[in-house]
Amino acid sequence: MDKKEILENLATAIIEGNKDMARETAQNALRAGINPLEAVDQGLSKGMEVVGAQFESGDSFLPELLMAGGTFSAAMEIIKPAIEANKQQMRKEGKVLLATVKGDLHNIGKDIVGTVMETNGFEVVDIGVDQPTLNIIEAADKNKADIIALSSLMTTTIPNQKELIEVLKEMGIRDKYFVLVGGGPVSQKWADEIGANGYGETAIDAVNISRNLMSGHK
Amino acid sequence: MLDIYDRAIKGPIMNEKDFDMEVFIPRLKAVVEKYGIKYDRKNPVPSDDRASDNLFEAAVDFMRQVGVYCKDTNRVMQFTEDEIRQVLREAPGKCFLGEGKDAGVLGMRKPDEPKYPWFHSGTGIAFSSEENMTNMLEECASIAEINSISFPALEHIRGFPSVGGSPAEFYASIRGINIGMQAIKRAGRPGLPVLNLISTAATSRSAIAASAPQFGCRRTDGWLCGTIAEFKLDFGIMTKIAYVHSSGALVGAETAPIMGGYCGGPDGTAVASTAYIIMGLLVHKGNYQLHFPIHFKYSCTTTRDVIWINSVSCQAASRNIPMPVIWDPYCAAGPNTKMFMYETAAYLLSVIPSGAPAFETSHPAKGVMVDGFTPMECKWNVEMGKAASRTKREEANDLVNRLLEKYESRIDNPPTGSKYQECHDMITGKPHEAYVQLYNEVKEELADLGIPFE
Repeated sequence: MDKKEILENLATAIIEGNKDMARETAQNALRAGINPLEAVDQGLSKGMEVVGAQFESGDSFLPELLMAGGTFSAAMEIIKPAIEANKQQMRKEGKVLLATVKGDLHNIGKDIVGTVMETNGFEVVDIGVDQPTLNIIEAADKNKADIIALSSLMTTTIPNQKELIEVLKEMGIRDKYFVLVGGGPVSQKWADEIGANGYGETAIDAVNISRNLMSGHK
Repeated sequence: MLDIYDRAIKGPIMNEKDFDMEVFIPRLKAVVEKYGIKYDRKNPVPSDDRASDNLFEAAVDFMRQVGVYCKDTNRVMQFTEDEIRQVLREAPGKCFLGEGKDAGVLGMRKPDEPKYPWFHSGTGIAFSSEENMTNMLEECASIAEINSISFPALEHIRGFPSVGGSPAEFYASIRGINIGMQAIKRAGRPGLPVLNLISTAATSRSAIAASAPQFGCRRTDGWLCGTIAEFKLDFGIMTKIAYVHSSGALVGAETAPIMGGYCGGPDGTAVASTAYIIMGLLVHKGNYQLHFPIHFKYSCTTTRDVIWINSVSCQAASRNIPMPVIWDPYCAAGPNTKMFMYETAAYLLSVIPSGAPAFETSHPAKGVMVDGFTPMECKWNVEMGKAASRTKREEANDLVNRLLEKYESRIDNPPTGSKYQECHDMITGKPHEAYVQLYNEVKEELADLGIPFE
């Protein structure tokens, strides 16, 4: 099997959500001497791009996206030690602290954002739903996050997004984090009103905005 | 509810992610395959009774295989097929709501049955001021055909945002009930049942606290007790259900499978949608149900695939599950737009000929625009609801296809429309002339399309 075929198979494994194929092909890639970073960029990530595009266009759904994310992780269990052994470093887009605000139990939108950001090179720490403001800030500090991404699906809970930004200001650490907001009742207007750094209508928006923010195009 | 609690503390233990990924998703896929459930995009309102009954059987099988996850105990509440079928056999299929001359019986309808459904005025969105909320409610309650009403949520109380779980939420909740009750009295309909208590309270704690009778709630009203997507509950919701049952009031199971979420595409969501109606009887022991399968990306119920899901699961339920379901539309477009009126027409033609016992008047602008509901939308829903009850499924299928042609391409960029105060006179409560003209124009256009208005 040549290099091109191996990389294509890695992408196919992701698209099909086939963990066994992903593990086996990842081992083949290392045996064939393919640079592990290239296996990620030109194989696994290419597959994720296809799944992400299908998801955005409505041709596939959350189960397929999550299966692809799980398959990506399964392949990375094999490839990551090789990256470390070569003293190479994965491209790090940034670290995201993800949470649904206090009083809100909705998790699906947050989960989608987490999966898409993770498979696009961000390190994601998801602390779950119904999270009080101080918990979120403490977790961001503990995990040395670059971005705090807040989800809220209810008109009665979006004030908690505003509260987090105000508390960051009160603590004198507003500039330490980029704050992204999203969820059903959230809009660009709301994000501007509360002083968030960005609003993502979709998970791909969240990735693009985060990349821009991290590269200094605030 | 102790029986349900017992299952929540004794069922098999697993972490939530495993429930989603190893139980819910694969078993739903397997059931879809086993029963041959297939989305038919050309026929958003099918007329196949055998297919409806097959979908119902798939839902029973799915419920038996999957159960409901309890987030507080990390255990799965499971049910045998015998238990499921017994609940379905014994359910009354009706409930008594309201007081005095405004009281009524919410019962079942069958597909193609020409009787009127129950008209529920869906005004349960956020309002910025007490004055707007009172005026809007009074106008909606004054529409004679309305059988029940939802109260809006108050966004603020004395300048404080009604943040979920805070004292402000509690105060806003009791104020919301107070204003709502005054409004229905002003409309001359003091006994009109309220079916979305407590609308302002996002948390079970505030909902229970504000439910004390001294704040105005009555045992003849209904409390919405939700679910967590998909097929999950927590102790907060279970305690609220237990409280409402114990107080002798009515439990409305509130369920909303997400098309494109864990349910996958339309096929899987149709099975989950039907199974959720079984869950409303089995787990919530609900007296009625508020149900809205919704599109995860567009946050509305009027896309072609969700219209199909609504129609087929409504047919499966109305033929086999004795639960009075209030079907609840969310439109992409806002008030005072043609698109809102097309979306509402398509939605009602998909569920009422499919046997919907009741419907809630459609939420404009996905239900998230503050002050984004007016009595004109309520009036349109009533007119369309009556017309839809005179329409058979086969005719509805053709009409829905033609309505979809009018708005489908704009579903991802819908017009926002106007807020209540922007398209109504706040002194008289009457709509502005431009809205009346737009309304009449669309009605005439849809009458020409073949919709049988009175």
